[in-house]
Amino acid sequence: MRRSLLDHRWAGYVVAALSVGALTLLLKIIGTHVNAATVSLALLLNVLFIATRWGSLPALAASILAMLCFNFFFLPPFGTFTIAATDNWIALLAFLVTAITAGQLSASAKRRTEEAETGKREIERLYAELRDAFERASHAEALRQSEKLKSALLDAVTHDLRTPLTSIKASITTLLDEIRGRINGEPPVALDAESRVEMMEVIDEESDRLSRFINGLIELARIEAGELQLRRRWGAVDEIISTALLRAEPITKQHRVEFDVEKELPGVCVDERAVSEVVYTLVDNAAKYSAKGSVIRIIARRAGDESILMAIEDEGPGIPANLREQVFDKFFRATRDGDIRKQQPSGTGMGLAIAKGIVEAHEGSIWIEAGRNGKGTRVMFTLPIGDEDVVDEKQYSAATLET
Amino acid sequence: MTDQPRILVVDDEPQLTRVLRAGLKSRGFDVRAAADGLAGFEAFNDWHPDLVITDLAMPNVDGLELCRRLRAVSQVPIIVLSAKGEEKTKVEALDLGADDFVTKPFGIDELLARVRASLRRANAPPTNEATPTMLDSGDFHVDLESREITVRGKRIHLTPKEFDLLVYFIKHSGKVLTHRTLLAALWGGNYVEQNEYLRVFVGNLRKKIEPDAATPQYILTEPWIGYRFNSGQN
Repeated sequence: MRRSLLDHRWAGYVVAALSVGALTLLLKIIGTHVNAATVSLALLLNVLFIATRWGSLPALAASILAMLCFNFFFLPPFGTFTIAATDNWIALLAFLVTAITAGQLSASAKRRTEEAETGKREIERLYAELRDAFERASHAEALRQSEKLKSALLDAVTHDLRTPLTSIKASITTLLDEIRGRINGEPPVALDAESRVEMMEVIDEESDRLSRFINGLIELARIEAGELQLRRRWGAVDEIISTALLRAEPITKQHRVEFDVEKELPGVCVDERAVSEVVYTLVDNAAKYSAKGSVIRIIARRAGDESILMAIEDEGPGIPANLREQVFDKFFRATRDGDIRKQQPSGTGMGLAIAKGIVEAHEGSIWIEAGRNGKGTRVMFTLPIGDEDVVDEKQYSAATLET
Repeated sequence: MTDQPRILVVDDEPQLTRVLRAGLKSRGFDVRAAADGLAGFEAFNDWHPDLVITDLAMPNVDGLELCRRLRAVSQVPIIVLSAKGEEKTKVEALDLGADDFVTKPFGIDELLARVRASLRRANAPPTNEATPTMLDSGDFHVDLESREITVRGKRIHLTPKEFDLLVYFIKHSGKVLTHRTLLAALWGGNYVEQNEYLRVFVGNLRKKIEPDAATPQYILTEPWIGYRFNSGQN
């Protein structure tokens, strides 16, 4: 802010002198109509004005000057500094004391107000500084966390891409070596027919694994971008289950699959392919993480008037309660990242994340409990039955989720 | 009992152990596989392989811990399988005593070359028996007593530290040597973080022994890891 002339150190004294002079002149001109009391009040007001604007010293100067003017011009005998009557002495003294006291008081009041103002501004400034610093810190922390997360995800993805690639590369170079050796007439590499088939099987299986992984990534990306378009239509729960089980047959051959499906379940308005994918993932997990010969139980029943509850239960080692939410995070693998690492094999860490995405897109929910008698794993999910009228034909025709 | 060299493959990826087992068997190696460090260590104690190939990231006992346990009981050559981005773990494994590494994904030839080199080194007669005075390796001939070195038949002059560094390289020809290992061997344990010492000496040495110091053929850089010496012997 620019300082004006009035803020100058000497300005108070100059204004004090000028204002007392001007006021005296004014009072003198209209002198016939004013008495000494009025004059003293007017001069006092002037002192107060100086005090509030310029503080105690200019106020003191104004008080003395006012007292002198009061004496010289308004107390008889006029035009001298002598005072005839005793009561006028008292009036003059009272004026001086009042002027000085009032001046000092209002000056100190002004100072305190200023100090309070300065204090308040300082507190505001500190507060703003603190808030900025805090915001900067939390922004940096968020960035760091997000970078950390990104790098963890990248690690998980590259590991899952590189592992099958390594097997493929090692197989193919072994096969190539043999063939090249034969063409160049070098001593043959002793690769028997069985090994050769094994190498090719590995290439075949690992290519499928890569392809599954990439499909999973695409599906996850769609779910995260909110682009999972459901082809909802009315279907029967047991049909959805059979589709999933048919697909899972090679994996569940060595398990006993039992059903506990309520009779006369209502139809559901869902994307059958997507829900069947959820059931398949859960059955696949159940088979993968439980002993051969053990039971996998598939449960479906009504949950209230508006939902269906489904559950897939196994007799495996179960998932510790502290990991039951985390296993739905993408790329989280309880067998690798959790404390139950010794159990093999480990999946891609995408199945449950995708299942959750699909269930939630249907406005259902999915969670994990311990299985029967507190043993094994039970994954449960709900699906709203759906409203007769809300088959969204537009969404149906726009559906692109075919993999 | 066969006289085929025995290789123990330790990896938690069953597909990769299947391939390596078949690939290495076809090249005349006797192969066993283990799915983690713990099983690997047990198999080592039961079977006494001539070489161990191990993955780094494994459940239970990982590759690093396996290196540590193996080195506590044996000098068996260890080759670690690592991924790009695992440089830190790789260096740790080498510092713990692993002999070499192969980066995934790898061709079988690369792995076989490393296997052969490691076995050759392990089977070579120890060079320091009865304090030999001569050291011959590829293009290098060293008289340890008079501290004279000839490269490709040509005499070169080295400072004492350069001489020690070159002799250390020649003695560990073909093996990956981490910065830490070299610094500890040449300057002592207090200097293991001073990579710049090493850079300066390697630079000077290259100027004196390499036909073209800009494209070294003897002292090869292993990025982020250290150096590998190739004496020119094939």
